[in-house]
Amino acid sequence: MNDKVIYLDYAATTPVDPRVAVKMAACLTQEGLYANPASAHTPGRNARGAVERARSQVAALVNAQPGEIIFTSGATESDNLAIKGVAHFYKDKGRHIVTARTEHKAVLDTCRQLEREGFEITWLKPDADGLLPPQRVTQALRADTILVSIMHVNNEIGVAQDIAAIGRGTRARGVLFHVDAAQSAGKLPIDLNMLDVDLMSFSGHKLYGPKGIGALYVRREPRVNLEALIHGGGHEGGLRSGTLATHQIVGMGEAFALAQAQLAEDAGHVAALRERLWRGIHELVPEALLNGHATQRVAGILNVSFPGVEGESLLFACCTLAVSSGSACNSATREPSYVLRALGREDEVAGSSLRFSLGRFTTAAEVDAAARIVGEEYRRLKSLAA
Amino acid sequence: MGTTVTGYHANVWQHFRAPRNAGMFAPGTPGVVSGRAGNAQHGREVEMALRLDEDARILECRYRVYGCPATIALCSLASEALRGQPLAAAATYSVLALAESLRLAAEKRAAALVVEDALREAAAGYNGPLPPYAAATVQAKQV
Repeated sequence: MNDKVIYLDYAATTPVDPRVAVKMAACLTQEGLYANPASAHTPGRNARGAVERARSQVAALVNAQPGEIIFTSGATESDNLAIKGVAHFYKDKGRHIVTARTEHKAVLDTCRQLEREGFEITWLKPDADGLLPPQRVTQALRADTILVSIMHVNNEIGVAQDIAAIGRGTRARGVLFHVDAAQSAGKLPIDLNMLDVDLMSFSGHKLYGPKGIGALYVRREPRVNLEALIHGGGHEGGLRSGTLATHQIVGMGEAFALAQAQLAEDAGHVAALRERLWRGIHELVPEALLNGHATQRVAGILNVSFPGVEGESLLFACCTLAVSSGSACNSATREPSYVLRALGREDEVAGSSLRFSLGRFTTAAEVDAAARIVGEEYRRLKSLAA
Repeated sequence: MGTTVTGYHANVWQHFRAPRNAGMFAPGTPGVVSGRAGNAQHGREVEMALRLDEDARILECRYRVYGCPATIALCSLASEALRGQPLAAAATYSVLALAESLRLAAEKRAAALVVEDALREAAAGYNGPLPPYAAATVQAKQV
């Protein structure tokens, strides 16, 4: 990567932690754990041992049982398996699902597909701060509701939903509850022993692990049943067939173990830098607007709207920053973020937003430089329109 | 010149990074006509201003612009191209052809039309004497 670019897009993906990369490399070559974990011979059993160790590491981060963790190709597949898996298994019980308009596309598009299959979806709208009052979820439940899917931390604005309260509401009504935790695992403490959550999706690459690997937590008590999406071989308890990718799984396990060991340290580091970045931006651009609830949020994501400048120009002007834009600026119609629109931001303001996401390797010098660059470029573009 | 990593032609990128002739004339500057087009709510808004000599020749072209990099770059490029030209050039100058020559994506062609509209309106705002060749062109465009 160009070393002149400041990477502030950790919510999109993270670099693999070097300690993780070392463990992964040891699973690839002839001297390492390259054998098929499903094989009965010694090398296979050794590989399977590494897979099961990783399963325990993933489970430990969220206080689940290792047997409740199913490895997938990523959080998108986990979301698909959870939502379609429940819908198809429990369709005779009911065909109503509740979710929110600000969910990740992996949930939205999966629910839309189920709509086409005849399921009915209730799309809840969060408040202007991005939070969904738990009673709004409870009120949406019906006799034929089989599933609620609400993300823990929003990937664009970083707000954290009250999944404990939402879970209490769904459990009381006998409705299954799926949580996409791709952005929260390892960032916020999660104790599945204390939460009424039935299914939870995880990603490897959002937490300094490799891309192409994820996991789905499937509660065993009370038991949750799913219909598999992928068939052939019966791996992962029949829920996800396909040869287990030892190096990816080991990488995810090591990344989750590291995250557990240094969760407080990472969160403190990132929270301090995020606050420093926001103060720096706000000092230079007093017009800047913070998107999402100010405190009920994950530490690393800062989403800011810059009124009075056009979003694509601001993003491109800040070309030495690797950040995300609040608009899909290369689409035929300039389409502001659906998340910010759902929060009630006007198109123009939603389109001029930038998401800064910080991580383990972000430095104070980087956030200071980022605030200065954004401030200068904002003033420059604003002066062109004045 | 080639395309930059942003997907824009290098010339577009250069004029976006360092727009020429940006900013409006001081109020009361003699010989200035201006025209406005677009709407910030719809993603782009442009005001083009032309300072003319007594022969209705463009001494200077300046602008205000809110919009994507393509909109900003097209304002800058057009302002350079029109300097020293007769006023009629502002009414006939094809920003769309400029956009095509810079290989702007189809969805960015709307930026060219907004800049063109602002130039047309500026030219139409001139009510002083025009050399015959220029008057005919401007009137034809106004119809």
